[in-house]
This record gives sequence, structure tokens and C-alpha cells, in this order.
Amino acid sequence: MAPLTPGIARRARRPAATRAVVAFITGVWLALVARLGAQAVHASEAQVKAVFLLNFAQFVDWPPATAADSQAPLIIGILGDDPFNGFLDEAVRGERLHARPLVVRRYRRLEDVKACDILFISESEDERVDEILAALKNRPILTVSDAANFAQRGGIIRFVTAKSRVRLEINPDAAQGAHLTLSSKLLRLADLVTAPGR
Amino acid sequence: MASAKRVASTAATLVTLGWVIAISPAPAQRPDSLAQPPDSVKALRELTLEQLMNVEVTSVSKHAERISQVASAIQVITQEDLRHSGASSLPEALRLATNLEVAQIDSRQWAISARGFNSTTANKLLVLIDGRTVYTPLYSGVFWDVQDVPLADIERIEVISGPGATLWGANAVNGVINVTTKDAKDTQGLLLSGGGGSTLRGVGAAQYGGALGPAIRFRAYAKGFTREPSSLPNGQDATDDWHAEQGGFRLDWDASQSSHVTLQSDLYDGRISQPAAADIAVSGHNAIVRWSLAPSAATNVTAQLVYDRTHRDIPGTFGEDLDAYDVDLAQRAAVGTRQDVVWGVGYRLINDRVANSAALAFLPPHVTRQWFSGFVQDEVALVPDRVRLTLGTKLEHDEYTGFGVQPSARVNWALDTASTLWTAVSRALRTPSRLDRELYIPGQAPYLLAGGPNFRSEEELAYEVGYRRAWGAATVSVSTFYNHYHALRSLEQANRPNPFPIVIGNGQDGESYGAEATGQYRVSQRWRLRAGYTELRVHIWPVDGSTDMTHGRSEALDPERQLSLVSETDLSARLRLDGLFRYVGSIANAQVPAYAELNARLTWRPADPIEVSLVGQHLLHDQHAEFGALATRREIRRAVYGLVAWHL
Repeated sequence: MAPLTPGIARRARRPAATRAVVAFITGVWLALVARLGAQAVHASEAQVKAVFLLNFAQFVDWPPATAADSQAPLIIGILGDDPFNGFLDEAVRGERLHARPLVVRRYRRLEDVKACDILFISESEDERVDEILAALKNRPILTVSDAANFAQRGGIIRFVTAKSRVRLEINPDAAQGAHLTLSSKLLRLADLVTAPGR
Repeated sequence: MASAKRVASTAATLVTLGWVIAISPAPAQRPDSLAQPPDSVKALRELTLEQLMNVEVTSVSKHAERISQVASAIQVITQEDLRHSGASSLPEALRLATNLEVAQIDSRQWAISARGFNSTTANKLLVLIDGRTVYTPLYSGVFWDVQDVPLADIERIEVISGPGATLWGANAVNGVINVTTKDAKDTQGLLLSGGGGSTLRGVGAAQYGGALGPAIRFRAYAKGFTREPSSLPNGQDATDDWHAEQGGFRLDWDASQSSHVTLQSDLYDGRISQPAAADIAVSGHNAIVRWSLAPSAATNVTAQLVYDRTHRDIPGTFGEDLDAYDVDLAQRAAVGTRQDVVWGVGYRLINDRVANSAALAFLPPHVTRQWFSGFVQDEVALVPDRVRLTLGTKLEHDEYTGFGVQPSARVNWALDTASTLWTAVSRALRTPSRLDRELYIPGQAPYLLAGGPNFRSEEELAYEVGYRRAWGAATVSVSTFYNHYHALRSLEQANRPNPFPIVIGNGQDGESYGAEATGQYRVSQRWRLRAGYTELRVHIWPVDGSTDMTHGRSEALDPERQLSLVSETDLSARLRLDGLFRYVGSIANAQVPAYAELNARLTWRPADPIEVSLVGQHLLHDQHAEFGALATRREIRRAVYGLVAWHL
């Protein structure tokens, strides 16, 4: 008797369950149809950061001697693992700064970083950040990273993600040291930090 | 039955209606393109810097990004996952980790394990909340009813299936759950939330985060809930309704450029009904001080002190007051360019006082015990950027068994930038708990069951091979394992042919093998899917000379397969629909039938600081069983609740 009862109970309940499944499928279908007409909500962190890197080119002035000529490409480099998943390439595609085309380069090793204007230092290099910054010191390269205390440690711009927004921390002294001029607009929107002991 | 059908169909209609209503206004209320964050990089390029800073980003935690490099079966539940899951408690949230077995026993008790050996007192999983070990030395398992972390404050939950004993320590035999809460600087402002419905009758929380100085941030919270009883198989209430209240704070101080101090504490109290006896009372508090120092990128040091007090009084069964103290010190250092060494030492002291009853006794009732442990692990880049070898061991001393060694070797091979192959061999120990050595039933002699004075550690040798790969918008991960167990807990008939007394022994061996597959696929910018599938076989047998008759029935109650599917859909800028479908196979040795269930959550953000959500849990059945022996089985009812959260 005992094993029979739950069986009966289950059989009797099945239509309700079926109805729930049908309701779910209908709901999902409706949701999908609605989706076609709806706008998107979020962007991924990587997408937003990729577009920031692109934008920096407009808000930074490099010392005149940096570019070989006025048509030389403006290079955005990634040192270490590429976290952008193709978004950076997508962001710069077809973009120019005045006559200079924007180009993405990827570097495995610090020694490979030669003519580079904006350098994103990937999380894979976290342990070498101080070493990298020391080696790049005074070169006209806009250094950007997610690394903890990047700007305090002498980097120029750090991406900070808080409350689901990407904010910027900028170390103006570091920018000055690299002979870069950051626009006041960029500085106004960022949190300014200084290296300790200055 | 008619009424059951009616309820089910009404619920189904409501859900459908909910979706329809929810979806319809979307195009009408579409705001202008500035307020609406666009989706593609192309659209993002059109934004000004200010607008770009206001785009809401869905981020993958740093740890999640590193998953591709970890040589073990790890899954990460992010805050984003948690927030949209509709989970109202930590165990419910753990259903998102497809490499775990998560079964609700009644209104408040859960059986949670990885790679088998699940039971009401599952003992092969290590659970840490901000570095605080929460499994009880009473039975090496977790009282899930008092692990009530505010879910909004969780940064991530790492779930590792497979042994993690080398780094994490004893009890990490089949898995580790590591819950990390957010830094106080990431929870600034006021957060109020409240709601209720069926099963979760009422819930409310208030939290405030502020600054005490330029480098010191804090948050303080208070929360509470009341839950309805679970159901007996015949549909009647099971008299296990309960309520609990909790409060706490966390303070984070950037003491200097390279050092960080965290101070945190929680305090809680709960009451649980039980049939034919006074209410169960649970309460406790804990405090953690953690100091971390990173003088350079090449090295860091962490020191941590933990105090944890728990009180539990189950009238008619037993009572317990436990004080636990932990001290841990760990250092990581890069040695040369190819090696990364982590080492640490730990000390744990417990002071446990049990109040025995006529039903059972822990003898002696009052014990003080201590553990010493040390570990060292070296990660060597055999071929830089391609092959890494990780060798390590843990050495632990406990008062029951003396020294125990838990070594492991792992190899991680990056085949190319998108795929990784890894393999590992590990030894892990499940050291004795008070239950194994000191439990007596009934509370007075003559005993039917007696703890084993010679019970020693259960031993595991685990072999794992895994593979991960990313293809554009999809990632897939497969982990396979074979574990061999020796000296598993057994129930020995000490005085044959008399059936009693039964004495706890180490008379069983066993093996388990299986595979865990997980995948993620981004169908479009607005629709993401995650799936998990697990196959598992566990065999347990008595060794020569053992009189055990259970064949593992008291140790391992596991479904052979599980499937789960998570769907996340952004219906519009302000509407989101999440669903979790899961199928759990039958637990053959406990006669728990297979079941399929569905959770759904609809979230509406009428304005940025306000979020309104409607959650449906276990929508496919009026009630269903997930665990437990027939005689004492409780079933879980369909539940619907609403929640409003206001974040300033």
C-alpha cells in the first residue's frame, strides 16, 4: 500500500506539472519575442575598458617628437594576456586620431614594447608591475592597468570597478613624468591620486 | 488533488502572466538612448567619457578570470550570479554550483557534498566564510541553518570539487566551498530590503556602509527572516517553522601602501519549532582579524585570528556550546623567475561542552582539543607560459591520530591560449570527529551504539584529469575523477552474534568515479546560458574481518546524475528574467525518487536605486522530496516571494 500511494499522487499531479512546463515554455518564448524589440542593458567590463583605451587617445597629448611622422600609427599595446576578448580590436577598427590610424599590438615581454603610445598592463603581469613601471619610467607611454594601487605605484591610469561602474584613478605626476599632457576634462572625471611620499 | 491542480495551474498562469505583463511595457517605456546603456562596442564608441563612466558593467571577478589557469575543478559563483538567482540563503545559492550535490532536508537542514558521500552529516567538505572554518568538530560537517551570510555582501563563492587538502587542510577531502565577502569600500551607502511570500514568510535587511577616515571604511548590517514549515509527505505541516536574526559589521583599513587590515564580526540568534518538544535554540558570534602585507609584488604575508562561538540547544536530543580559536599565518613568495612558493602554519583550539540527553550522549561531555598544521606548496613553470607543476603537502597533528600527511601533485598544461589540460594526484584525510569517537546511544549504558575508541582517519587517494576550452562566446570544462577510499567509517557488531552494541570502526573501503561537465554560452548580448552535468558512481564495501552490514548506506546517499540549466535574459534595460532548471537523479539507497524542478526570478528596476523582484521556487510540483529516509522524510513546497531592495 505504502509504495502505491505516492505513485498515485504523482500521476494525479502530472497535468499540473505539465501545465507549468507549458507555461514556462510559453513565457520563455514570449520573452524571446519581446527581446527582439528590446534594447540591451549591460556592457561587459572588457568592452567598456576597451572603449576607454580608445578614448584616451583623444584626451592625451604626446610630446611632439614621439611619432615618426604625422601619419604613423598610434599604438595601443597590451602587455601580457589579452583580457579584451577581441573587443579592443573591434573598438579601434577604422578609428583614426587626425591622420594617425589606431593599431593594437600585443606584447609577451616587456622588452618587446618599443614604439607604443598607450600600454595596457594585463592582470597576468600583476606580480611584475613595479618592475615594468620602473623600466618604462619617463618614456612617453600612457600606462593603464587594473592592478591594485596602480596609480599610487607610479602608473598613470587605473581602471577601478565599483558599484558596477568603471571609474578612473589618475596619477597626474606620473603623466607629467612621462611628458604626457592629459586634458582637463579627463582629469576632472577621474579620481586623482599621488604616489606616497610626494 | 483538485485543489493541488488548481494551485499548480494558478501558479503557472501567474508566472506566464507575470512574464507577459513584465514584457509588454518594455518598448513603451524605453528611455532615450543616453539613459540606455548600449550593447556593442560600436555603440559604446559614440558615448562621451561621462556616459561611459555610467555604463553598468557586468564583470567577471578576477578569480573567475583566472579559472582558466587553475589545475582543479573550480566553479565560481559571482555576486552577479547570486543577485539574480533568487536565492534567499547560502545553501540555496550553492545550487548554482553544478559540481555540488545540494539537497534540502527540511525547512532548515541541508545535505551538501561534492563527489558523493552526501548525508545529513556529510563530512568530506571544507567550508570557509572569509577564512573562518565553519564545519563543526562535532561531526566534521556544517550546521547550514546558522551560516547566514548577507548574500548582497558576498563577492564570490569558489566551489572546488575534489581534494583541496594541501592548501586548505583536513576535511577538504571531496571539496572546498570558500565564501569571500566584499571589502567594506565596495558596500558604501544605505541598503534596505524587505519582502515575503510563501515558505519565506518575511525577510528584511538594513545595511549602512561609511567611512571612518580617509583609509578606513566600514559596513554594519542587521537582518532577519521567518520561514514556514516544510511538509510531511501527506501534505501536512512538519512543525519546523523557524526564524532567525543576525547582525554584524566589517571594517577595512588600508593601513599603509602595502598593508591592509580587516576586522569583522557577526552575531545571530534563531528559534526552530520541533514537534512534541520545546523549540530548538541556536545562537552564536564570531570575530575575525586579518592583516595582510604585500611589501612587493613578489611576496605577501597574511596573518589571521578567528574566534567562533556557537550555541545549539535541541531539547530532548542534545545541547552544545563550542568555542573555537584559529590562528593562521601564510606567506607567498616568488623565488627566481619560475617558482612561486606558498607556505603557512596554523593552530586551532576548541573548547566543546555538550549537554547530553536520555537519547544520546557525547562522552566525555566536555573536551578541549588542539590541532597544529603546516603546509608548503611550490608552483614551478616547467615551460614558461605553458606547463606548470605544483607540488605541495600539508602536515597536520591532531590529538586523536597524531601526524597526518596530505600531499598533492598537479600539472597544468596550456595547450594554446584557449584551452588547458590539467591532471592531479592527491592524498586527503578525513580526521576523526567527536561523532566517530565519543557518541553513545542511548544516553545511559547499556549502549546500542558506541563511539570507536580506535577510530582513525579515513584516507583518500584521488586521481583527476580535466580539460577547459573557450570558443568565442562559449566555454566548456570537463573534469573526471577516480577516488579510492580506505578505512571509511563502518558500523561494527562488536559482540556477535548479538546485534548490539554497534561500535564505530574503519571497516569499509570504497571507490568513486565520475565526470563533471559545465558550459557557458552567450547566445546574445542579452541572453546567457550555463549548464552543468554530473555523473557519479560510489561503491562501498566492508573489508575482511568487518561485520558492517550497511554497505555505505550510512555514509553515501548520492544521485547518480544531475543536470542543471541556468538562463539569464535581459528583457529590457530595466527588466530581467532568470531561470534555474535542475534534474536530480534518484538516491537509490534512500528511496528518494528522481525529480526535476524550476526556479524563476523576474527583476524590475523602476529606477536605478530600486529593485523589485518576484521569485518562484520549486514551481513544477506542489511539494517534492530531496533527501532523507522515508520514515522521517520532509518535502519542500512550491514557494513564491517578492522582494524590494533600495540602494542609496
